[in-house]
Amino acid sequence: MGKLRGFLEHQRLNEKNIQVKERVKNYKEFTIAPNEKELQDQGARCMDCGVPFCHSGCPLGNLIPDFNDAVYRNEWEKALKILHSTNNFPEFTGRLCPAPCEESCVLGIINPPVSIEMIEKYIVERGFKEGWIKAIPPKKRTNKSIAIIGSGPAGLAAAQQLNRAGHYVTVFERDEKIGGLLRYGIPDFKMEKNIIDRRVKILKDEGIKFKTNVEVGKNLSIKDLDSFDAIVLCIGASVQRKLPIPGAELNGVVQAMDFLPKSNRWVDGKSMIDKECHANGKDVIVIGGGDTGSDCIGTSNRQGAKSVTNFEIMPKPSNYRTDENPWPFWPFKLKTTSSHEEGSFREWNIMTKEFIGDKDGKLKFLKTVNVKWEKDDDNKMKLIEKPNSSKEWPCELALLALGFSGPEPSLSSQLKLELDENSNIKSNKNYQTNIPHIFSAGDVRRGQSLIVWAISEGREAAYNVDRYLMGSSNLPMKEGGDLPIK
Amino acid sequence: MLPKKQGLYNPEFEHDNCGAGFICSLKGKRTNSIIHKALDILDKLEHRGAVSADGKTGDGAGILIDIPHHFLKDDCPFKIPKPQTYALGMVFLPRKMNQRNFCIEIFENELKRQKLSIIGWRDVPVNEDVVGDIAKTTLPYIKQIFVKPSREVIEEDKLNTRAFVARKRAENIIYKSKMSQSQYFYLPSFSTRTLIYKGLLLPQDIQNFYLDLKDKRVVTRLALVHQRFSTNTFPTWDLAQPFRYMCHNGEINTYKGNVMRMKAREELFFDKNIGDNMQYLSPIILPGKSDSAAMDMVVELLLHTGRSLPEVMMMLVPEAWEKHQSMDIKKKNFYRYNSCIMEPWDGPASVPFTDGKYIGALLDRNGLRPSRYSVTKDGYVVMSSETGVIDIEPENILRHGRLEPGRMFLVDMEEGRIVEDSEVKERIASKYPYGEWIKKNTLHLRDVPYTGNKTEIEVLDYFKRLKLFGYTEEDIKTLIVPMSLKGKESIGSMGTDTPLAVFSEKPQLLFNYFKQLFAQVTNPPLDGIREEIVTDTSIGIGSDENIFKISSKHAKKLIIQNPIISNEDLDKIKFIKHKNFKASSINATYRINSGLNGLEKSLESMLDKVQIAVKNGCNIIIISDRGVNNNLAPIPILLACSHIHHGMMKKKLRSKFGIIIESAEPREPHHFALLFGYGASAINPYMVNEIINFQVKSGSIKNLSSENAISNFNKAIAKGLVKIMNKIGISTLHSYRGAQIFEALGLSKKFVDKYFSKTTTRIEGIGLKEIELEILHRHEFTFNNNIEEFGGIGLEIGGSYRWRRNGEAHMMNPSTISKLQQATKNRNFKTYEEYSRLVNDQSKQLMTIRGMFEFTELDPIPIDEVEPWTEIVKRFKTGAMSLGSISKEAHENLAIAMNRIGGKSNSGEGGEDIERFSIDDNGDWRNSAIKQVASGRFGVSSHYLTNAKEIQIKMAQGAKPGEGGQLPGPKVNPYIASVRNSTPFVGLISPPPHHDIYSIEDLAQLIFDLKNANREARINVKLVSEVGVGTIAAGVAKAKADVILISGYDGGTGASPLTSLKHAGLPWELGIAEAQQTLVMNDLRGRVVIECDGQMKTGRDVAIAALLGAEEFGFSTAPLIASGCIMMRACHLNTCPVGIATQDPELRKNFKGKPENIINFMYFVAEELRVIMASLGFKTVDEMIGQSQKLNMNNAVSHFKSEGIDLSSILYKPKSDKNFAVRNVIKQDHKLENVIDFDIISRAGKALVDLKSIKLEFNIKNTDRSVGAILSNEISKRHGKNGLPVDSLHLVFNGSAGQSFGCFATRGLKMELIGNSNDYFGKGLSGAKLIVRVPKRATFKPEKNIIIGNVALYGATAGEAYINGIAGERFCVRNSGAVAVVEGVGDHGCEYMTGGEVVILGKIGRNFAAGMSGGIAYIYSENSIFENDNFNMEMIGLEDLKSNDLIRLNKLIQNHVLYTKSSIGKKIISNWNKSKKHFIKVMPTDYKAALELLANNKELNKNG
Repeated sequence: MGKLRGFLEHQRLNEKNIQVKERVKNYKEFTIAPNEKELQDQGARCMDCGVPFCHSGCPLGNLIPDFNDAVYRNEWEKALKILHSTNNFPEFTGRLCPAPCEESCVLGIINPPVSIEMIEKYIVERGFKEGWIKAIPPKKRTNKSIAIIGSGPAGLAAAQQLNRAGHYVTVFERDEKIGGLLRYGIPDFKMEKNIIDRRVKILKDEGIKFKTNVEVGKNLSIKDLDSFDAIVLCIGASVQRKLPIPGAELNGVVQAMDFLPKSNRWVDGKSMIDKECHANGKDVIVIGGGDTGSDCIGTSNRQGAKSVTNFEIMPKPSNYRTDENPWPFWPFKLKTTSSHEEGSFREWNIMTKEFIGDKDGKLKFLKTVNVKWEKDDDNKMKLIEKPNSSKEWPCELALLALGFSGPEPSLSSQLKLELDENSNIKSNKNYQTNIPHIFSAGDVRRGQSLIVWAISEGREAAYNVDRYLMGSSNLPMKEGGDLPIK
Repeated sequence: MLPKKQGLYNPEFEHDNCGAGFICSLKGKRTNSIIHKALDILDKLEHRGAVSADGKTGDGAGILIDIPHHFLKDDCPFKIPKPQTYALGMVFLPRKMNQRNFCIEIFENELKRQKLSIIGWRDVPVNEDVVGDIAKTTLPYIKQIFVKPSREVIEEDKLNTRAFVARKRAENIIYKSKMSQSQYFYLPSFSTRTLIYKGLLLPQDIQNFYLDLKDKRVVTRLALVHQRFSTNTFPTWDLAQPFRYMCHNGEINTYKGNVMRMKAREELFFDKNIGDNMQYLSPIILPGKSDSAAMDMVVELLLHTGRSLPEVMMMLVPEAWEKHQSMDIKKKNFYRYNSCIMEPWDGPASVPFTDGKYIGALLDRNGLRPSRYSVTKDGYVVMSSETGVIDIEPENILRHGRLEPGRMFLVDMEEGRIVEDSEVKERIASKYPYGEWIKKNTLHLRDVPYTGNKTEIEVLDYFKRLKLFGYTEEDIKTLIVPMSLKGKESIGSMGTDTPLAVFSEKPQLLFNYFKQLFAQVTNPPLDGIREEIVTDTSIGIGSDENIFKISSKHAKKLIIQNPIISNEDLDKIKFIKHKNFKASSINATYRINSGLNGLEKSLESMLDKVQIAVKNGCNIIIISDRGVNNNLAPIPILLACSHIHHGMMKKKLRSKFGIIIESAEPREPHHFALLFGYGASAINPYMVNEIINFQVKSGSIKNLSSENAISNFNKAIAKGLVKIMNKIGISTLHSYRGAQIFEALGLSKKFVDKYFSKTTTRIEGIGLKEIELEILHRHEFTFNNNIEEFGGIGLEIGGSYRWRRNGEAHMMNPSTISKLQQATKNRNFKTYEEYSRLVNDQSKQLMTIRGMFEFTELDPIPIDEVEPWTEIVKRFKTGAMSLGSISKEAHENLAIAMNRIGGKSNSGEGGEDIERFSIDDNGDWRNSAIKQVASGRFGVSSHYLTNAKEIQIKMAQGAKPGEGGQLPGPKVNPYIASVRNSTPFVGLISPPPHHDIYSIEDLAQLIFDLKNANREARINVKLVSEVGVGTIAAGVAKAKADVILISGYDGGTGASPLTSLKHAGLPWELGIAEAQQTLVMNDLRGRVVIECDGQMKTGRDVAIAALLGAEEFGFSTAPLIASGCIMMRACHLNTCPVGIATQDPELRKNFKGKPENIINFMYFVAEELRVIMASLGFKTVDEMIGQSQKLNMNNAVSHFKSEGIDLSSILYKPKSDKNFAVRNVIKQDHKLENVIDFDIISRAGKALVDLKSIKLEFNIKNTDRSVGAILSNEISKRHGKNGLPVDSLHLVFNGSAGQSFGCFATRGLKMELIGNSNDYFGKGLSGAKLIVRVPKRATFKPEKNIIIGNVALYGATAGEAYINGIAGERFCVRNSGAVAVVEGVGDHGCEYMTGGEVVILGKIGRNFAAGMSGGIAYIYSENSIFENDNFNMEMIGLEDLKSNDLIRLNKLIQNHVLYTKSSIGKKIISNWNKSKKHFIKVMPTDYKAALELLANNKELNKNG
């Protein structure tokens, strides 16, 4: 299995992008597909490890060596089957996943790791192209009905699995379209929305019912859920962290998750430009150095920002893995995304102290100080402001990408669900909340996390729901084997 | 009289090996001196025997002589009739008078019943004072009985038959009597011609005990003597040899199968002379005796069927006739015919035999035992395990010979002459028209026409059936596809770390509950690849016939060449239309909803169906699991097969039919081996055929037709089978069939007794109920789980070989590996604790036996009182990983780390760079404290051994016990090649056996050799855990090992067939416990250190090993992981990405390991151990050894399968009245003080110190063994590898040299032997010059006589040898650099040779140059006839000599003449222009290519 010495013969190939100049002109995806031979060579780099750490590092437990081998052997349909056996939506993860698998790839110890994510993406795209991906409605129905609340990746994964088990599944979504954060949080240049649509079509064809514009607890009473044998909450962790400093109320201080959905809706032709919330001609400062921040940068540039600057309160990470994060664990290293490449200034060790506006209440400046981090007596990192480092930054649009603090509380309080210390909905290892027929999966359960985790949670929850309903379940589960965090 | 089964000890495990010999007068002269000469032979063979802990009890010795008629006539108060008209019995009787009288009464009754009258009883005068304490406890009362026919005069044969019947009947009654001393009753001999005096005596005490032997009036023409070396911990009087008709040096490897098959045969016995008595003769083979005793009982029986003794011996121990192209057709037909009646009783065995009329010996097909004879001009023949056991003047020698493989040496006492092998066999083979009988009755499967009848196609969907029969993706991808592509089994690496079947959460096939047994120490594994000529997988099917008859009917057999048969072949059999054969199919399924009951009933009804079929004349029963569906589940085919096999044996119908298996289940060699082992004769794996068809159709198997792919698969299985058979030392499937050489692990005794009768199972476990549950699980998974519809991939993923989340659990997985690496990198004990918790918890979740233990009887003490970690780590070792299998960097890293903490690293079998022997400037030392000596002997020289603190003899390796190692060509870079004395880029193979260890006394010899080579080093013998390893350990302790290592089956490897990784050997918990118990029981424990290894990972593992009895501990996988290993499992591919198990220069740069990583690991383990010690109340490790009461079975964990497990036998502590040591307390006495070398050294100061040339002369005899080793050790110590100036120390020896003459003899020595030599001449020759020539007074022609023994120059690395005469079998095996000239060699010459030059001025035996990958051989034939049949052409080419060859050859022959005065050498040189044309050059192909490559590419010569 795998090509003997393939990793010594071939270099890693990253997906190529259309030039910056061209790609910022629109919101389309800008990657250039490698050819078949190039992909086969990439598959050949897989070493077919006795202990494939990638398979452990992938929260879905993707059978990475197995599909790599199939690609190397040019057996794409087989590769697709293997890929789909653990991952309902490789087209999402193939585009959006930060790829912990590649960080734990054994080849990564000595060379750039196998380009697993790229291979994944092109397996599934090949599948769609060839028409191999078809709706497979269940042969038998169980007469059990399940409500899934939230149509993000967790909800969709749970829905597909439970539908496969023969249950009647209804997905409730409060927005007008299916997808949750995938649709409204992820800019189109990272994933065009027809990618979601084509998958949702298959789900519909398999028999899943989707109810959009329905917000449980608001325009659908929780009483109405009583008719379902089980409920799976996949409502995400959508409470955004605030920056409670002077001036936070000014016009032009905008949460990323207000900014990005608006842009996405506009791209979708569903809304007009909201000028206050648009970057065109403005000095934009994005506060928060994560993936959402990066998405804000890319979007701002496409909207025609005058300048884009990115603040991060933490120090600049090293370019490489450090001893604190040894292989195969997830490394905290400098990540330069395609959005960064499109034009942005990045500032580290910087803390925003105040938003300063004009008389109309419009944002004009940001006031910052530089900081440093030192260990305190308890060996914890402690922030220290550097004296005399105060600085003002011209800025008309400040985008807050500070992450999420947890799920919105209304539904859980209506349903009388217990929360954990992080205000997530508490559930046991079987994904079951304190109310036996209510389960939870995804960010709502584990807090803000990755899409790949959301799909994983959706699948595992589905197994447990099925088992709860039927006494046992034949749905696949990934079992143990997740790599420890460190 | 053996102790009862207790704990893990079972008397059935006993083995023995020995020294034997005979002497006879061709002229029929009866003398008393023959007795004393014969007993002298034993004296001279004393080193081949063993002594128990009391220092006085031998393992047994004895002598067989003609009945001394005149002496007895004089001595007895009653009248004795004429010779041969009466039978004399030597009778052992109970000590207690009442019981003795009871025995006598019964025996006399039986004699009378056979119409024999008692002439009288004679008390045999004995001196009991000479008997050792242990022997005394079982000393019988000894009498002789004289009987004659009651009335009529009858033929001598009939008299003997009556005596035999009476004895058997009496034995039967007495042994069943439950009398406390019933086992004392035993007749060593009862014959009209021969008489045996034997006992649990040291050889020199035989005549002191049996006073008759000292009486001058006792005279004989012949004397057969024997002394025993048994691993047998509790030898008994009756098992001393000779037996009634034979004795035996070696071991009957096929014994288990032979016993089972004999039992089945008994149902057919009929003879009109014996008549109704027949039923009382069963069992022919009494249980609980030795293999030799069993064989003797069968010989005895066959003698009463009208066959002569030589014929019986030919029948039991046939030559390797199957693949012999040039064998006489008549003889071949004899063998072919008799193979229909009897499977081979294969050794390694040299079997001297006599019935008083004939005396002789024969050697089995492998020829692994030495047997030398000399014929004197004054009419005596002396034959023994060694030459030189009797002093014969050189001028009296007529000829020196040796027994050759499969050959018989026979003296006809009546005619007074030696009958040549060809003559006697010709005579026997002509007795009946065997050829005609075969032609008329034997049918070959290939000759059966295919009638087009097709088995019905399965109704149930292909994928469903895959699931139902438990196929995984991995089975298909890793096992089946590679076998059908390559025709051989896939190779894997590292060890196995998955749960035992009984602990696995995944449903397991029944096959997985069985472990293959393998040969170690007491018998050698064989080499079916290099020595293919002796192997055979053909099988005859049909009904058996009465063994008392010799008729054409016996030949009615269907012969199948490769019994793994295709669907078409099965169809041919199924629908066969032939007068001799009729087949019937028996369905092996049951209704799944009928559950356990249904399964049980189905099994029983199968028996009824077979019975009916057999009654209807069927002689082929096909057991089939076809036709499964959602109602019908398959019965595990192994269960069905074994049940019918045993069930029909109980019904006494087993001989009537052969079993053919038609099953979807078997898929790997292990499965097939089990089915054959439990009675099958042919197997059709139809599901695998379908899988292969599918793979061909779907394109996963490319460029191959289905037929070819299936045929490849079948071939791969057959090869795998041969390998499995060879592991236990069996050459033919015929002997393997029904031999059930397996141990069950995790099956309940009740279940095993019922369905797998006579299979060992020691920790109990599941029964039929749980097996049914597992079937049910699979059935539900098949029919109720459409995983494909859920997006899954159909089959289970597998994950046995490569970790997968949903697959089988592995101890080493991403979590444990990453934690261990982090901990050892950062010296973080907390992280280590996380790692160790993960491992220990997994272990507790039923992955290992040790996981089931918990510590008990806690008695906490402060941890400060426990000895410090720095003391504890001195007991720690790293495992044997060769330089070659791992990189220089990784190898040296281990050595540096272990030397820093005072532990020991192990060189592995690949030799070691001499640079590493001295300490580096920075104070680090890269020298491996343990130097390994494995079968390949790579780089094993005097200098290498001198630099060891411990020398380890690798008898077996956990990952592949019973197999040799292999280092693929790409890993043999110039550096590795230089260390191993081999050629770069030519792959290296080490043979399965050590060619100098075919039995326990050979091991004792090697231990002696190595102890001589380095007196300060401990000698360590590495064994692998299996049932009976305790007994073997006892033997090894008696063979004077200082350390015994017991490895678990799960240890790592650089390359091993997948089957061996998983299915051979057992966990160390069983091995250590059994060794501890057995050694303590017979007070040998104190003499040895016990070491344990095999997937040891944590302090808890160490604690458990110590409590079970180990005092030192080895780690391999874990330290490698600490050095960066990520369990790639690509060691065999040379692609290890982290630079550990690779020689690729680029990849080696990736090695990041540091000595500190390993030290940290050892420190952590020791610290964890200290915590446990503190909780148990032990201050030192010594205190805790063998304290198994501190463990009990953890009841907290349970699983439906593990509930029946019972570990009490592992925790058993033998009870003894005396205070026997439970750990090492004394040193072995190696008895080196009488070695000649000390004398040499004392006289050779001038040479040794001043480097002056001197010449010294000595007398030598066969008891002077390993001459030259101590001397070379002293030279190596002083002068390193280069030794002394060439030829500066010239030593001349007169006489017959003992074994291992010149072993490890180093540079500067010139050792000249005038006389002859025994086995292992020049073993490991390290640069010296050895010369053997015959004394001037001798008149025989040396070039026609055997001058040195077997396995000469084994593992020689440098030096020269000139031998004026013929050498025995396996000359120059694994020679890697020595130059030798010899005048003829036996079979398997130059096997595995990798370097050096060999000139042979005479005949070569068969299979020359097998596996020869380097070096050159020149062979001379006077008439230029070189029979192709004699060469193994696999790796060599035969070439004409070129001019530079001729120059070199001429020089070597000139040397030969100069040193030995060889007459043939002189003749060749004097006619050089003519004679040079009569040479041929043997050149290994790879070697030639590599030499050319190196010549063309100087770059490659640089060290990689």
